[in-house]
Amino acid sequence: MKYLNKSITEIHELLKNKTITPVDLVEEAFENIEKNKELNAYITLNKEEALKEAKELEGKEVDNLLFGLPIAVKDNIITKGLRTTCGSHILENFVPIYNATVVEKIKAKHMIIIGKTNMDEFAMGSSSRTSYFGAPRNPWNKDKICGGSSGGSAATIAARDVLFAIGSDTGGSIRQPASYTGIVGMKPTYGRISRYGLVAFASSLDQMGPMTKNVYENAVLLNALVGKDEKDLTSARREEEDFTRFIGKDIKGMKIAVPNFLMGDIVSKEVKEKIKDTIQLLEKSGATVDYVDIKYLENAMTLYQIIAMGEASSNLARFDGIRYGFQAENIKNIEEMYLETRGQGFGEEVKRRIMVGSYLLSGENAKVYYNKALSIRDDMRKEFKKVFEKYDLIIGPTTVTTAYDLTDPMDDPRKSFMDDVLVIPVNMAGLPGMNIPVGFDNKHMPIGMQIIGNSFEEAKIYQLGSFIEKSLNLELTPGGEK
Amino acid sequence: MEEKLTREEVLHVARLARIQLSEEEIEKYQVELKKLLKDVEKINDVKGYDDDILIACWDGNTELRKDEEGEMLDPKQVVENAPHHAGNYIEVPVVIGESEGA
Repeated sequence: MKYLNKSITEIHELLKNKTITPVDLVEEAFENIEKNKELNAYITLNKEEALKEAKELEGKEVDNLLFGLPIAVKDNIITKGLRTTCGSHILENFVPIYNATVVEKIKAKHMIIIGKTNMDEFAMGSSSRTSYFGAPRNPWNKDKICGGSSGGSAATIAARDVLFAIGSDTGGSIRQPASYTGIVGMKPTYGRISRYGLVAFASSLDQMGPMTKNVYENAVLLNALVGKDEKDLTSARREEEDFTRFIGKDIKGMKIAVPNFLMGDIVSKEVKEKIKDTIQLLEKSGATVDYVDIKYLENAMTLYQIIAMGEASSNLARFDGIRYGFQAENIKNIEEMYLETRGQGFGEEVKRRIMVGSYLLSGENAKVYYNKALSIRDDMRKEFKKVFEKYDLIIGPTTVTTAYDLTDPMDDPRKSFMDDVLVIPVNMAGLPGMNIPVGFDNKHMPIGMQIIGNSFEEAKIYQLGSFIEKSLNLELTPGGEK
Repeated sequence: MEEKLTREEVLHVARLARIQLSEEEIEKYQVELKKLLKDVEKINDVKGYDDDILIACWDGNTELRKDEEGEMLDPKQVVENAPHHAGNYIEVPVVIGESEGA
């Protein structure tokens, strides 16, 4: 009997009336992962500990919807006693001595960490192919990428190994792989979730979020992850809210904006058509949809390159081979140790970004590039805010195409930025954004739509997302067995 | 001919980033870094923006935690996480000069 393809509420009932136990779920999760081994979704599995934790839960009261459920965690989120590599050789043997705040939060709900998911090295990439541990594969077609950088989290959800995964999104790394694999991925408002224990890439952009097979389960997991944390200055203190509260509600009268930039020539015909179909559906259902211009959107990628590479070069300076992680051998002095440890420890993409970032922040360049980018970002954010004075939500395609081949060339250093051109603006403005599947291309690869909300209005995003999900009623399990 | 940085320019940024590059990498990055640097130059085409700087996009208030003694990581575990350690100390290579044994 399989349970992990059921809904969270069904599983919850089965746990409550003791038809099944957390051990059954954990065992099933590992059977699924074994069966889908060639997806390469995981870097490290947590089998022994997960089974032990599941056994300990037996006899405990099933006190919340997430109780006893297996969850996959992206490998740039620190887990005490469980190897955390960030997809990099430099942290290949790194075992953290504390937990990220999100990890403490899911443990408080008695969720069980099943393993650490594959990802682009230090979350730098758009196809998860920069992982030191090899690229994960797309469950819809194993010759395709599953996007990135949270590619392993996306793959394991799409394959229905487990119900829940956590990803991180600095410039689209939750939403873009969610789009390529036909799942729901939410990047919450900057500050919603404490970043404590998320290995920093670009601190002013990084945010973690839930990745799930449907909207409701996504909102339930978000409920568990949010909150002010004294260990992260930028975490926001907000009144407690239930993110599922608008799910199932009508969208009549909802005002929706579509930025012309998101529907421009860069987007493939097939993707655009599917988004237009969805727009029609929304209009028929009583929402108004207007095309709008948002200034600076076309500059977002440039701003992102400057801010993300600049901050990365500073953040990744901590990998010096002294306090943790890999250290090069046969070295003469400390200077050589830095150079060799970082030269041997980092992969190509990471080195490239650190070097460009170092250049952008060095001396007067900081003013010429970084400060200027921060100024334009502020203006861009204000432009978004103006749109939200008139509209409830913004929508558009998540990606310009569907997932491409794993063997596609990687020789253009701009490619990983171009893949994220539609999702980057959301991070620049600190807004919440979510991918929702809206159909398939002619090769039956998923097409995704992003829904963008005003700051802290995730509940409204879930409202529209669940409406679309219910109206389209797509078969979103690869292979079709529901 | 493909545009590229000079060898010295690549070595300069590699030095800033404390990254040792192989000969092969230097050649590759001469082309690749040039492409990225050309991309970021596009920022100079953006006109008409305010000079206000947005450090990070969060709508919350900056709230510093109280300066109170709290739980800390166990120093023994911290030290043991270092690739080389002895007792309560993290071992590092020679800082000035060169070690003889290497």
